[in-house]
Amino acid sequence: MQRITIDPITRLEGHGKIEIFLDDAGNVANTYFQIPELRGFERFCVGRPVEELPLLTNRICGVCPEAHHMAGAKAADAVYHVDIPRTAKMLRELLYSAFYVTDHTTHFYALAGPDFVMGPDAPVAERNILGVIHKVGLEIGGKVIQCRKYGHTVVEMIGGRKVHPCTSIPGGLTKGITEEQRKEIEEMGKWAIEFAQFSLKLFSDVVLGNKAYVDLILGDVYTHQTYYMGMVDENNHTNFYDGKVRVVGPDGKEFVKYSPKDYAEHIAEHVEPWTYLKFPYLKKVGWKGFVDGKDSGVYCATPLSRLNAADGMATPRAQEEYDKMYKTLGGKPVHQRLATHWARLIELLYAAERWVELATNPEITSPNFHTIPTEKPTEGVGIVEAPRGTLTHHYWTDERGVVTKVNLIVGTTNNYAPISMSINKAARSLIKQGTVVTEGLLNMVEMAFRAYDPCFGCATHSLPGQMPLEVTIHDADGNPIKVLKQFCE
Amino acid sequence: MKTLVIGLGNPILGDDGVGWRVAEKIRQELDNPQSAICNLQSVEVDCVSLGGLSLMERLTGYERVILIDAISTGKKPLGSVTIFTLDSLPDLTAGHSASAHDTSLRTALKVGRSMNLPLPQDDQVLVVAIEAQSVYDFSQELSPAISAAVPLAVEATLELLRSNQEGE
Repeated sequence: MQRITIDPITRLEGHGKIEIFLDDAGNVANTYFQIPELRGFERFCVGRPVEELPLLTNRICGVCPEAHHMAGAKAADAVYHVDIPRTAKMLRELLYSAFYVTDHTTHFYALAGPDFVMGPDAPVAERNILGVIHKVGLEIGGKVIQCRKYGHTVVEMIGGRKVHPCTSIPGGLTKGITEEQRKEIEEMGKWAIEFAQFSLKLFSDVVLGNKAYVDLILGDVYTHQTYYMGMVDENNHTNFYDGKVRVVGPDGKEFVKYSPKDYAEHIAEHVEPWTYLKFPYLKKVGWKGFVDGKDSGVYCATPLSRLNAADGMATPRAQEEYDKMYKTLGGKPVHQRLATHWARLIELLYAAERWVELATNPEITSPNFHTIPTEKPTEGVGIVEAPRGTLTHHYWTDERGVVTKVNLIVGTTNNYAPISMSINKAARSLIKQGTVVTEGLLNMVEMAFRAYDPCFGCATHSLPGQMPLEVTIHDADGNPIKVLKQFCE
Repeated sequence: MKTLVIGLGNPILGDDGVGWRVAEKIRQELDNPQSAICNLQSVEVDCVSLGGLSLMERLTGYERVILIDAISTGKKPLGSVTIFTLDSLPDLTAGHSASAHDTSLRTALKVGRSMNLPLPQDDQVLVVAIEAQSVYDFSQELSPAISAAVPLAVEATLELLRSNQEGE
């Protein structure tokens, strides 16, 4: 059996990797996507005061600390049975909206952009953010940097620190914002709306204006029919910070809508012998393997899933774009995974609009941003939509508020089964008997998982913080006959 | 030269936090009246968990940067301290995802420079790397081999700062 390994590591060894096994004829026999598990988090948390967890959990991951801070703070609120003031909710959501704008912008321009602006089989040296900037215009790079700067500024104003916020505590926040800060945040938000609209226009011109890309998006290679998960408000509109978790079936109909505290009734985890990471699935449907369809409990939690799971967007410009996407792609739900990139940009616009909505609410500068918890702490669940999927934190404490147990279901974990399925299908479709495995072809396989923006937990703080691709092809006896490497020492 | 010393890593992920420990010692040295590098006005110290574009943004405004971080090559004994410049590292990212969400620091620096941001040149980004292995288990403690390497990495960094001072 031949074996191809795509090894997207970030530490020169030991990170996630894709393995493709070929049969004697040269067709794909099977594929495995392995994500390394960070170990011992529960043991690390037990014995600490619960209010420390929003600060600790935001160190789990260098990519979305803001999401962990929010889910952790909401879980800690729930542990103390405290309903936080409206202003506190709005401040947290405002911070979170600015974070979303930054995160989605970075994904589009640094990761998705190279595939679509430069092309999936463009020369490797050009297929990166620099190539995008050179092709589309230097001013784009300036806008991306500006957008990130504004996002970081808002996070720092409300969260007390850039990137790793620290102001959310059980009952609300430790500080509010002044009228002067509010005005500044509003101005930055208006700029972010324009930038989001510009990004959607760019997507429309470059991607939708190119038939080859539209065919790629709509083609079968990157299509799966599964359940979709996303948080919604009382109007069933997408919300990132608060609401209920809604799941729709492959037919688009609501399957369930649950409150965060009830998540364990709906989500179970499947174990496979070849990976430490578990595969969450819908308990009431059941685990039927890595298969599509209504009878398979596999669900997906991504930007596209959130839009599929909602009835629309809560802001007007994002709603227009939402309608346009579903009209263009043939109605709801959209199963084509590459459309996730489009959905991400619609969410970018929604986050920017929400940013301005919250910044212009008169209550946002109210000094009523904290309620002192008085109830006896027990247990609590906090859920937010992280950019990469629904993020669940569940904490248990003793009567002093000292942590006794922790359970987390993080964004990418939700998508472990669908990512594995997408890689498998792309590899089977693209690598056939006699196929010459080129760099461009492997990039097409990588595109299958890049749409999900999977998170390898500690990916960003490692040295050299990079993700090379190592491809080893073995002959039928297991001997390496060809090695493709991104770098040589 | 306006210099930034950065401890890079995750302080709750075992040996990955070594960069922070070394940087904190450097900070103490800067504050220590007995130290040869005491009160170096042009040197700042920070501890961060960043990469790619975010790290590039943090380096804006400095002529020289010293990054202290754990590295896992698997080819050197644990605790080995290596110093190299960023431009001597292979850019592993050409054409592929740099990290799952971002780009490499080198690509990010190129992006920043093309935006005319004041950034150090690649040969002025020095890396003090400590060979480590236990970077997947949550812990605030360093393993013994890595803990023993902290004074070596501190000395190596101080040497770089002293040469920096002499160069002015």
